[in-house]
Amino acid sequence: MKIVHSWLKEFLPEAPGSERLEELLAGLGLETESIHKLTAPHRQIVFARVLAAENLEGKEVRRLVLDIGQEVQVVSGAPNAKAGMGVALALPGALLPDGTELGVRKIAGLESYGMALSARELGVGEYAGGLLELPADALPPGTPLAEVWGPDEVIEIEITPNRPDWLSVYGVARDLAALGLSLVRPQPKPRTTPLALPFGVWIEDPEGCDRFTLSYARGVKVAPSPLLVQRRLYAAGMRPISNVVDATNYAMLELGNPMHAYDAAFIREGLVVRRARPGEKLVTLDGVERTLDERDLLITVKEGHQTRPAGLAGVMGGAEDEIRDTTTEVALEVAHFDPVRVRRTAKRQGLKTEASYRFERGVDPDGPILAAERFMELLQAWGGEEVEVAQERLDLNHTRPRPPISFRPGYTSRLVGMDYPAATQAEVLQRLGCTVQPTAEAGVWAVTPPSHRVDLAIEEDLVEEVARIVGYDQIPTTLPSFFPHPDNLGVDAPYEATERLKQVMAGLGFQEVLNYAWSSPEECELMRAPAPTVFMQNPQTADRTALRTALYPGLLKNLQTALAQGEDGPFLLFEVGNVFNQNETPRLAALLCGDPVPGLWQKGLGEGFFALKGFLETAARNLGSQVRVEQEAAPYLHPGISGAVYWNRQKVGQIGALHPAIAAALELPQVFLLELSLPLSKGPGTFTDIARYPASMRDLAVVVPESTPYAEIERVIRAHAGERLEKLEIFDVYRGKPLRDGEKSLAFHLTFRHEGRTLTDLETDGFMQNIITALENSGYAIRK
Amino acid sequence: MNIEAALEEIGKAPTLESLQALKVQYLGKNGLVTQEMKTLGRLSPEERREKGRVLNEWKAALEKALEAREAQLREEALQARLLQESIDVSLPGYAFPSGGLHITSRIMQELVGIFRKQGFSVVEGPEVESEFFNFDAINMPDWHPARDMQDTFWVEFKNQPGFTIQGPFGEDVTGRGGAVLRTHTSGMQIRYMIQHTPPFRIVVPGRVFRYEQTDASHEAMFHQLEGLVVGPNITMADLKGAISELARGLFGEEGKARFQPTYFPFVEPGVQFAMWWPERQKWLELGGAGMVHPYLFKAVDDYRERQGLPRAYEGMTGWAFGMGVERLALLRYGIPDIRYFYQNRLSFLRQFRG
Repeated sequence: MKIVHSWLKEFLPEAPGSERLEELLAGLGLETESIHKLTAPHRQIVFARVLAAENLEGKEVRRLVLDIGQEVQVVSGAPNAKAGMGVALALPGALLPDGTELGVRKIAGLESYGMALSARELGVGEYAGGLLELPADALPPGTPLAEVWGPDEVIEIEITPNRPDWLSVYGVARDLAALGLSLVRPQPKPRTTPLALPFGVWIEDPEGCDRFTLSYARGVKVAPSPLLVQRRLYAAGMRPISNVVDATNYAMLELGNPMHAYDAAFIREGLVVRRARPGEKLVTLDGVERTLDERDLLITVKEGHQTRPAGLAGVMGGAEDEIRDTTTEVALEVAHFDPVRVRRTAKRQGLKTEASYRFERGVDPDGPILAAERFMELLQAWGGEEVEVAQERLDLNHTRPRPPISFRPGYTSRLVGMDYPAATQAEVLQRLGCTVQPTAEAGVWAVTPPSHRVDLAIEEDLVEEVARIVGYDQIPTTLPSFFPHPDNLGVDAPYEATERLKQVMAGLGFQEVLNYAWSSPEECELMRAPAPTVFMQNPQTADRTALRTALYPGLLKNLQTALAQGEDGPFLLFEVGNVFNQNETPRLAALLCGDPVPGLWQKGLGEGFFALKGFLETAARNLGSQVRVEQEAAPYLHPGISGAVYWNRQKVGQIGALHPAIAAALELPQVFLLELSLPLSKGPGTFTDIARYPASMRDLAVVVPESTPYAEIERVIRAHAGERLEKLEIFDVYRGKPLRDGEKSLAFHLTFRHEGRTLTDLETDGFMQNIITALENSGYAIRK
Repeated sequence: MNIEAALEEIGKAPTLESLQALKVQYLGKNGLVTQEMKTLGRLSPEERREKGRVLNEWKAALEKALEAREAQLREEALQARLLQESIDVSLPGYAFPSGGLHITSRIMQELVGIFRKQGFSVVEGPEVESEFFNFDAINMPDWHPARDMQDTFWVEFKNQPGFTIQGPFGEDVTGRGGAVLRTHTSGMQIRYMIQHTPPFRIVVPGRVFRYEQTDASHEAMFHQLEGLVVGPNITMADLKGAISELARGLFGEEGKARFQPTYFPFVEPGVQFAMWWPERQKWLELGGAGMVHPYLFKAVDDYRERQGLPRAYEGMTGWAFGMGVERLALLRYGIPDIRYFYQNRLSFLRQFRG
């Protein structure tokens, strides 16, 4: 909402300058987006009247003869120049807002004495499609426009959706006045004439339209609006059209009630407000043919027993009955419509107008008469002496009085946490236009908000009004102290576990990344991830049509970026985030590319699959947990370098080398990945007393076929070692002489310990014999 | 034997081995001094005393010389070894990987940490949310103009066996209106209240989504921190206290909070808060807050009742806030473009350590 400062001052003579005003507005809840200074036009820009406009043979430009107190010749390309209109003329020496300095120029072989200006060239608005059209007698020819267009300011404020009463100059002034500034109330007084109204109004849907006023004026001459009005409309973001249309916009911007002017000659019998019929069509003012249904509310013109759509209620008028240059009779509609219905229609039609914007938020249902009078007053001021305004008007009013709000002033103090005297609260509410009545119950008031405050409905709304007008800066600061209800205890645990996991991964040397939640079926297919289940109804881009089903594709893309941009390796990345398959579930994924410790002047350390697995094992140890990997294929992993990860015996995900086919498609070097479902279970977290008796160690080498996994041998040893086995460590994997081809030897350190005494050699030999027997029974040889 | 020559010889012994040989040569079982000692018996008492004294002096002198030379040789050997072992310690060490958290995680941890000190618990919620929790239950029905303030990603479910949104108790809430990528973390207010009994204090970190064209200051995905405190006598002054503590936690003792009225459908009264940034001497608009709207308490109690739980929120008051996390990071570090955050360029991410 753009508020012109000089306009605001008409209602609030004490309004301070924009800087102080910004502070006051912020205190009321109105955030200032920008303050735009309007400067007076250069003194060499003057009012001129067009005496003649001549086409030049074979040229696109025209020769204008202008009156600026003397006749001058100007060449212009504007299509709308015509004899009798007023224009703004930049004389030689004038400086335009864009920095152009004008001189006498030759155009199309003719000397042009300056330049006739469009709104944009003049710096008052955006429109550049023709000359700014001014009333023929706006000023004595040759008068600098600066005489009327002094410096001004436009304050653009952000209006929250609950406060439609702020969507007008007067509305903002009224709220500022509650801070103690004096307010000039609008009291429009059009000269009225007793005239018979030539039309009637019928409301068939009083739910959709609970108030409809129709006023009448005749003897209107359609012409451009006065200079000051045009500038204000432009400054407020609207384009002046003609005095009649401008008066509707001006009155709406000033008072907040949208209105619509019809050429009364076209609505002779009157208007009917009714629901649209399925498939009914209407060409709106913007020239678009719209197909409607019974949810839409229409203003229709009664033609005998028929009704013809003339406007989409509260949204936009129809093209057929609009004000034209030839209009002499005006019917003015100022009505009130159901906000929800207007919003739904506007949304369905994709049509957001100044009217729908206001109606869907809530317009003052008691405002139409004042707004209509203001329109008529403006029409008489701008439309000439002959305008006759009918004394009578049609006013179909089905609005219901609002019930008062039961309000306890004590509640304000309780909710805000500071003491507000009851007298202060009553005064604030009254200043805002509320009626405050005591009730039979002590400490309870009946507060009736003014009709324009559609947002005030519950007690808390009134609490905010008191706190707001007294000032939020007055609220003290306290800290509450209480014991949370026991069912809130322990709710932190999942978050804490995730944080701890992230710290461990970072501590191991992995950089956390956070990727977008989006993916696409194409990407999932390329990366061999599960097909998406969650799709965007309104995707932003082709690669963001669905939600991710795994984390590793994001990490692979991060790696691609890092390689493309020549970032320093090695790359150790991880992400903790949610994936979307049948449910939304959290995961951890990690990526390793390159030796974790790169060789520089010395040799590098760590390599390949076992580096990543080592990190996983260290992470598990840091988290007091156990991890185990068993050979298992996954679609996106190398079939020979992949396994299932068991965390504290529970299967949680995969680890392995990226499938070479994917690596080739993405042009990536060898990459190792792991992806685990969260939350990971916690370790036992138990304490065992420190050992007091010495351990007994033995070594053992087992010869097995190449295809036998380490895990299998480990399983056999652990199953038969007995409960004194404290530690089992593999220290060598050997292939070669004297073993046969296809054989390997796995060598282990075994540590046995009894917590209550020293084990004898005999006992330990017994444990070893059990293991050896079990291995031999399983078909493996012991290497002596 | 010539003692002078012997001492000189010992003093010049080149190695520990040759020194040992000299020790044997003079003081060993068959050493020269030992043999001289053996001849003492054949001498007269005077001669014996005199020669004995001389021999003992020789022996002492030799032992001393041997010890001195040994110490000297050992020292030389040590020096030689030290020299030989010395390395250029100015060469770089092994480049063990150094990891770190994403800048968003770091800022979030900092914020969450400030609230934890005030006794808040941390919980998280789902990113795919039902229209009910994201909008309706927080007083934003579909006709509400406030929905225009948040451009929404609406989602649909395809491919069998489909997708289920789970409610606070794991129940299927997929059908409760449409489904969205949550536009804010505020839906968690409802989910948490349904599950728990006041009084409590929680903060909810999480990623949220808006259908925005991205540019230097707009992202379609970003993070919020939501706070919620509910109890029998929670006030707006408590809210101001908590936000002031946040300001002090972030910016030190000069940090302070400023409240201005604003509107969100889920609070009444509504607040927009700013924090004073002493370093730059300016106010930072960081988020919205307010007293929990009674509509939310009612929606929660109605849901609880349907789940067979007692109504727990009648007569309660509470406050809530929500703030953007990236914005704080942008301002604090002077990062020129919000898109840096999720491009995940390592040369960006690796700068946030320490």
